[in-house]
Amino acid sequence: MDAFMFWFFGGCALAGAALVALMPKLVHSAFALVLSLLGVAGLYWTLGADFLGGVQLLVYVGGITILFIYGIMLTPRDATRWSLGSLVAPGVLVAVPVAVLMSVAWKGLEAALKPAAPVTSAPTTDAIGSALLMRDQYLIPFELSSLVLLAALVGSVYLARRRRGG
Amino acid sequence: MPLLAAEGVSHLGGYFFISSAMFVLGIFTMVTRRNAIYVLMGAELILNAAALNFVAFARHHGGGGGTALDGQMFAVFIIILAAAEAAVALGIVLQLYHHFPTIDVTKPDRLGD
Repeated sequence: MDAFMFWFFGGCALAGAALVALMPKLVHSAFALVLSLLGVAGLYWTLGADFLGGVQLLVYVGGITILFIYGIMLTPRDATRWSLGSLVAPGVLVAVPVAVLMSVAWKGLEAALKPAAPVTSAPTTDAIGSALLMRDQYLIPFELSSLVLLAALVGSVYLARRRRGG
Repeated sequence: MPLLAAEGVSHLGGYFFISSAMFVLGIFTMVTRRNAIYVLMGAELILNAAALNFVAFARHHGGGGGTALDGQMFAVFIIILAAAEAAVALGIVLQLYHHFPTIDVTKPDRLGD
């Protein structure tokens, strides 16, 4: 059952990512991105990270995707011609070095890893909340991220507003 | 080596494979497309791949006193920063479209007026 869930969600994530890269139309790619992000949320659940999967659903699938759809609607349609044949050279140039790098990295990592902690069904929300508010753990990054979000909020409204008279 | 054994280290191989493939597809999207929104989508794929790797590897913490929770905390902060990044980047894209009649990332050639 676990293996089925893993391959199901992993297949969603991979198929979505491949469709993002290959779909000729922007809005189709945006919906393929939704599929990929849903797959990643499922993979978080198979890893026992239930809070993270929920956050992924809320922030990515619910929020960032909407932003992308708005971005697509507010900008002109993509007029560039798109063919699979023109993708072979960049595809090989990107995929081969990364594949070599990843397999070398995996060979090195595999020996150093300990067996996995068993996946428990215990909720992680409580533990993450405590860790965020402990002074010797993640309190400073947590408070700083609220500053970053405020700055991003103000900055993106400033950037995206329509300037009058020029 | 089977990518997905029932338990143990080789279970991680499947997650590593998926996050690597998502990373490659994200880079591929970023380098082949010229539409700024595609470039942002590629960046989101890369960030997701990195966060997935953090969570998967944290379950195999090899010493150093870390726990599986530390990887999840990294993923939480990645999601926070990705949300901020997406909002600001789309604001920039809209501004780009107001200044130039295109969002092709190869076309704009000046920063000021």
